[in-house]
Amino acid sequence: MNSETFRDENKDKTQENRIRRLMDELLVKSDALLDEQRPDAVLKQHSKGKLTARERIELLFDQGTFIEIGKFVQNIGMETMQGIDTPADGIITGIGEVDGRTVAVSASDYTVMGGSMGKIGLEKQARIIKIAKEAGYPLIFLMEGGGHRIQEGLDSREFARGSSGSSFVDLSLMSGWVPLIGAIMGPGFAGPSNFASLCDFIPMVEGSTMGIAGPKLVKAALGEDLTKEELGGAAFHTKVSGMADLTVKNDEECIKEIKKYLSYLPSNAKATPLQIPCNQPLNNVDQSLLKLLPKSTNQAYDMRKILDLIFDHNSVYEIKPQFAKNIITAFARINGKAVGIVANQTRYMGGILDSAACTKASRFVSLCDAFHLPLISFIDVAGFLPGSASEKAGLVRKSAKLLYEFAQATVPKVSVTVGKGYGLAYFAMMGGRTLQSNYSIAWPTAEICAMGIEGAVDVAYYRDYEAADDPVQRRKQLIDKFRSQIGAIRGAEGFGVDDVINPLDTRLLIAKTLERLPEKLLKEVPPRKHGIIPI
Amino acid sequence: MEKILSMMAGSVWKIHVQAGDRVEEGQQVIILESMKMEIPIEAETSGIVRQVMVSEGDFVNEGAILIELE
Repeated sequence: MNSETFRDENKDKTQENRIRRLMDELLVKSDALLDEQRPDAVLKQHSKGKLTARERIELLFDQGTFIEIGKFVQNIGMETMQGIDTPADGIITGIGEVDGRTVAVSASDYTVMGGSMGKIGLEKQARIIKIAKEAGYPLIFLMEGGGHRIQEGLDSREFARGSSGSSFVDLSLMSGWVPLIGAIMGPGFAGPSNFASLCDFIPMVEGSTMGIAGPKLVKAALGEDLTKEELGGAAFHTKVSGMADLTVKNDEECIKEIKKYLSYLPSNAKATPLQIPCNQPLNNVDQSLLKLLPKSTNQAYDMRKILDLIFDHNSVYEIKPQFAKNIITAFARINGKAVGIVANQTRYMGGILDSAACTKASRFVSLCDAFHLPLISFIDVAGFLPGSASEKAGLVRKSAKLLYEFAQATVPKVSVTVGKGYGLAYFAMMGGRTLQSNYSIAWPTAEICAMGIEGAVDVAYYRDYEAADDPVQRRKQLIDKFRSQIGAIRGAEGFGVDDVINPLDTRLLIAKTLERLPEKLLKEVPPRKHGIIPI
Repeated sequence: MEKILSMMAGSVWKIHVQAGDRVEEGQQVIILESMKMEIPIEAETSGIVRQVMVSEGDFVNEGAILIELE
C-alpha cells in the first residue's frame, strides 16, 4: 500500500465518522421533539382527556404520510423568553394524505406555553397557509391555546408588523378556493377563534371555548361575570350563536367528523367532488315516505326522515344540526353524487324562517356553490317570522341574503315543494320559477300562494265578510274558495312548476336531472366587479 | 333545574304532561298554536316535570318558561 492510498482511506473514515456523528445528532434532536421525550407534558394533556398535537395529527392522516415542516423551530429568543424551551415553537405544521387526498395542517401544541402563538410559530402557520393556497390543499387548523404569546407581544417592534395578520389576507383569498376547517379542541378564546372565524367548518370539542375574549378579560372590562361555558362554550356556540357547526365528544370524534366533512367536498374549487359508487336503486324508495307526511298542512312532521329515505343510505350529514333547527342544511349523496340540501323543518317553529335560519341557510348555500355541490331545496314554509324580535335582528336583510345566495349560485339547482310555499319565503327557498332553478317540482301535497289563506282573508276581505248577514259563514266561504285554488296541479297548470310528481319518484328524478346537468351553469352577469352581499 | 322555553310567540294549544310526569329527551310536551300552525315543543333533556307554568289558551312570548323540569 503506498502512502497516497493510505491517506485516502483515512480521509474516508474521518468523513464517514463525521457524517455518522451528524446523523446521530439529528436523531437526538428530532427525538427530543417527540411526545415520548416529554412525558410530563403529555400526561398533563391526557389527564384532561385530550390528545397531544402530534397524536391528533397521527389520527388525522393516513398512516406514514405526514411530512412535517419546521419541526426544529424555536422561539426567537426575545429577552422575555430567555431560557424558555418551545419545541416546534408550539405549532406543528405539515402536509399529508387524508383518505388519499393531500391536506395541510396547523396544530397548536398546548404543552408548549399553553398553545400560545409565538412569532416563529405564526410564521410556520403563515407558510403552511401559503402552501395550501398555492397548491390548492384543504387546510385544517387543530387549535387550542390562549392566542398571541403575550411574552412576545408587548413590543411594538414585533407586534406592529403583525406577522400573523398577513395570514388573514391569504385565508380571505382562500375562502371558496379550498375547504377551510377550524377545529377548536381546548381553550380557544381570542387567537384560535380569530383563525376559526375565517374557516368554513368549525367543530368544537366538549369543554372547549371560543370567543373574542375569555371570562377574566370580560369581567375586568365590563364587570360581566360569566363562566367560560356561558360565554363561549361548545353548547353555546352550536345552539345559540351558530358560530360552531358541531359539538363533538372528544378529540377522536373531532378528527372523525373533519374527515367526514371533507369527504363531501373536492380538494379545491378546480377539482370535482368525489363521486362514490352507489348500489342503491333510484326507483325503489321506501313507501313509508308517504306515511311521514302529515294529514293536515298545519301539523308538524320530521323532514329529516323524508330526506333520509330519498338520499343515499346514511349519507345525509347535517351542518349546524343544533342551530336554527327550523331549517335543515345538510350534505348528502344521491346515486353517489354529493349535493347540498336546504329543507324546512316543521318540527321546529313550524319551519318558519327567522333570522338564525336565514343566516344558517345562506351561509350553507354559499359553501355548496363554492365547491360545486348542486343545491336541492325541500320547501314547506308558511313564511318569515314576523314581530319585533325579527325586525331587531334585521330579518328583512337576512331574508334577502338567502335569496341572494340562491340566486347567484351557478351550481345545478332543484326545488321540491313538499307542503306550504307561502310568500317571499317560497321565493327565498327557491320555489317554482322564482330563482331560476333548473328543475322545479312539487308534490301533490303542495299549497302555493302569497300568504296563509285565513290571514289573507282577514286582511283583505274583512269588510266583505263583516258586512254579510252571517260573517262567520261568509268568512268560511271565502277561505274555502281560496283554499281550493292553491294546489300543486293548479300551480303546474300556470307553469309555475315543471311537474307535480309522486313523492316516491323524487329520488329518481333528482338523480337523473343532476346526472344530465353540467357542474357549472352558464349565467350572464353584468360587468360588475362583485356584488354586495346583503350582510 | 331545566326549563322548557317557548321557541316563538303563540298560544298554548295542548299540554301533554302534568307535574310529576317523567319526560324523555325529544318528547313532545306542549303544542303551541302560532301562525295558524301546530308548533310542537319538545323536552331537550329527560327529567321529571316540576311545574307546568302555563295553561291551555295562554298567550306566550318567545323565551317564556313553559315547564320546569327537575
